[in-house]
Amino acid sequence: MQPTETNLHSRTKRKLLLFFLSIAALYPIIRFLGYSIPRKPQLITISKTVLPGGFYLGKDFILFDDGKKAWALSRKCTHLGCTVHFHEKEKLIECPCHQSRFSIEGIVLNGPAKQPLNKFKVEKLKEHGGYIVTI
Amino acid sequence: MKLFLGLLKELRWGDFSLLSLYISVLSGVVVGYQYDPAAPLYSVSTLDMLVPYGEYFRSLHFYSSQLFFLFCICHLIAIFEKTVDYSSKRWIMLTATLPVALLILFTGYILRGDATGFSAGMIAEAILLDIPYVGKNINDLFFSISDNGMKRIYINHIIGFGILWGWLAWSHVKKYRVTFNRHVILSISIFTFSILVAAPFEPDHLGVVYIAGPWFFLGLQELLRYLPPILAGVVYPASFIVAIAFLQKKHRLFTPLLVFIIFWLFTYGILTILALNR
Repeated sequence: MQPTETNLHSRTKRKLLLFFLSIAALYPIIRFLGYSIPRKPQLITISKTVLPGGFYLGKDFILFDDGKKAWALSRKCTHLGCTVHFHEKEKLIECPCHQSRFSIEGIVLNGPAKQPLNKFKVEKLKEHGGYIVTI
Repeated sequence: MKLFLGLLKELRWGDFSLLSLYISVLSGVVVGYQYDPAAPLYSVSTLDMLVPYGEYFRSLHFYSSQLFFLFCICHLIAIFEKTVDYSSKRWIMLTATLPVALLILFTGYILRGDATGFSAGMIAEAILLDIPYVGKNINDLFFSISDNGMKRIYINHIIGFGILWGWLAWSHVKKYRVTFNRHVILSISIFTFSILVAAPFEPDHLGVVYIAGPWFFLGLQELLRYLPPILAGVVYPASFIVAIAFLQKKHRLFTPLLVFIIFWLFTYGILTILALNR
């Protein structure tokens, strides 16, 4: 049977309707997938005291203490998110994926990274020593 | 060269890839019974060190999956001349199975949760987030490691990408029946190789200076050193996929597309060599 003009017209209309319905159905999916459950700040307690000039390597951060103040840098490279490592001998932080280098203050020494490493809040415990890092 | 091309066309690459896929899926189900996406690194270490035959099944899953992808490429090259009559839609759907298969392979790498896998996943996430307007949505659908760990990658690896691959390839593969007894040598080779060679696993440790990603990702990893993620990670690989999708002899741009593909593969090869020599 040859498709008549009316048939073709209604088929096009149905296709258009289906297209718009698909777009409408996509919206809740996008909203659903895009929602991130708010994460509580994580408090990590480090019970040992880092000697001046030393460091503590956590899973997500590197903690430094120069004797006066302590600071913690995120281990997520600001280039593409790989986990950075601290090279004690050279006193620098390096990303193993593209060799971006950072100082122990988190400042970029060598690209491709352009942004400094993120810092986390550190509380130095006075009584028994140690630290609380908020990530 | 003629002998090589003759051999390439003679062998039943499609059969080989389907057989490897069967082994990959079956061994994947076995591995999945012990794998926990909430603790990927611990899970894979346990599989390799504690679970009886865990290392063997992981190896079987890994190597059969790699072979499946490689055989698919050989199959595409070998039967290319016979695809002249394929409609554009059919050809695009079939060539799209390759990047989808690569995504399944890639998510498998990430799910290992070791230094290589985790870094590759983070890089992929950063690349997607760099795409304007839709990057976040694509990342929410594909990876979302930072927010959801391995949860979505695991679902996509075992279900999402599998369904997509099946939908793209079904009209093609439904005609073929491949049985183990017709490919005894290949079957035995895959099983034996997996007994002898363990699948790679590289846990993170202090003092690592260089992490090389999966073999098919190396060129991209190297290019990301020089170019912004949107160019190196999206435009460059997408140009290759699009070129393959239109590479049909009846297409008026066949020759320029072929030249582009050869040039692309050449540059990717060079980048891969550079990455390997770091």
